[in-house]
Amino acid sequence: MGRILIVDDTLFMRTLLKNILFSGGHEIVGEAGDGTEAVEKYQALKPDLVTMDVVMPKMNGIEALKEIKKMDPGAKVVMCTAVGQEQMVKLAIKSGARGYVVKPFQAPKVLDEVKNVLAS
Amino acid sequence: MVSAPVKIQHNDEWINLKIQIDDEKIAIPSPVNATIPLRHILDLEEKKKNTLTIVKKDGKTIDLVSVDKVLFVLKHKILMKCSGYRLMVQFISPAIRGGVLVTNATWEKGAIIVLKTGIWCITQNKQICIPISDVTGIEMTKREVNDKPTDVVKIDHLEHHDVVSSFILTQVSTLEILHNFLQEATAGIKMEGTELGPMDQQIAMLVYSGMDSSSIQNMLQIQFKEIDRVYEKLINLNMAEVKEIRREVQLTAKGVRYITDATKAGVN
Repeated sequence: MGRILIVDDTLFMRTLLKNILFSGGHEIVGEAGDGTEAVEKYQALKPDLVTMDVVMPKMNGIEALKEIKKMDPGAKVVMCTAVGQEQMVKLAIKSGARGYVVKPFQAPKVLDEVKNVLAS
Repeated sequence: MVSAPVKIQHNDEWINLKIQIDDEKIAIPSPVNATIPLRHILDLEEKKKNTLTIVKKDGKTIDLVSVDKVLFVLKHKILMKCSGYRLMVQFISPAIRGGVLVTNATWEKGAIIVLKTGIWCITQNKQICIPISDVTGIEMTKREVNDKPTDVVKIDHLEHHDVVSSFILTQVSTLEILHNFLQEATAGIKMEGTELGPMDQQIAMLVYSGMDSSSIQNMLQIQFKEIDRVYEKLINLNMAEVKEIRREVQLTAKGVRYITDATKAGVN
């Protein structure tokens, strides 16, 4: 089980992820609504894993991922993308993302991916 | 010509015999005594494991049972020659399962065949059937192929309660035709998109994600009555079915007395 930071610009998706991850026994240590806030909260909270939306205001998920990897090369980040954003997935993997889930997602699959990344 | 052992249903009895298959026809010996040109076959159905129902143009069906290896060869020969929409394509299936990209999924060269009850994606050593009744969406989208965003057709379908996505790639000129054909074949699943309001959509999304009514109630801070109204709407639109009915109870005086006594006795 891990301490997780959820990053998404919509409250609905954050709440959905929070419920899914909580039901899997994970602890939600924080939430962020954009990339800048994600980087700040990562530094402050040092979570075991981050779920990161790609398209967000201020700083997008890819930029936030790069910033977090600069601070902590071992950071475990799972990207949450919409279907059709495969270019983004590729870019995210190149930038150090450890996993990716595609929206809309199903709870058991998200939990599996998070479990795999936490165990890696 | 290949000879293959099968069991065929004939006059309400299952009989063992050896059928002959070549690139043009299936020959079934006595007592069935039938020759079926492959181009006269309209549909294939696998209702159970190791069974195959062949539907002919005249509406008659042939039910047969055999081992995987025999059925694989039989299906391949039928699918490559039967009467159906057939196109040489590249495909990835499954590419996404339950919202998670399938790792190591690669493009495979093969064919797509659209029959009455199923969309088949086949290669020399793979056969995937997507039942039309399980298709949840068909759309043209873009996917990165050889580092370039490329037009593909995406087919979403339900498989053991997971939503699975497959991608089909072919020449741009035929992709649109394939997309239109698939949309026509799956016309029954089309939605106008106006039937659901914002709250209905949120609840549908949460059901999709695997949330039960209690979690949805807590998450959206709404009354169960409201959730029930949306469930009713989804069921009436054939977008959902009842999985289970739960009951909430409250204790009677007898129940309360039992619990009170049990607590006093130190059982609880």
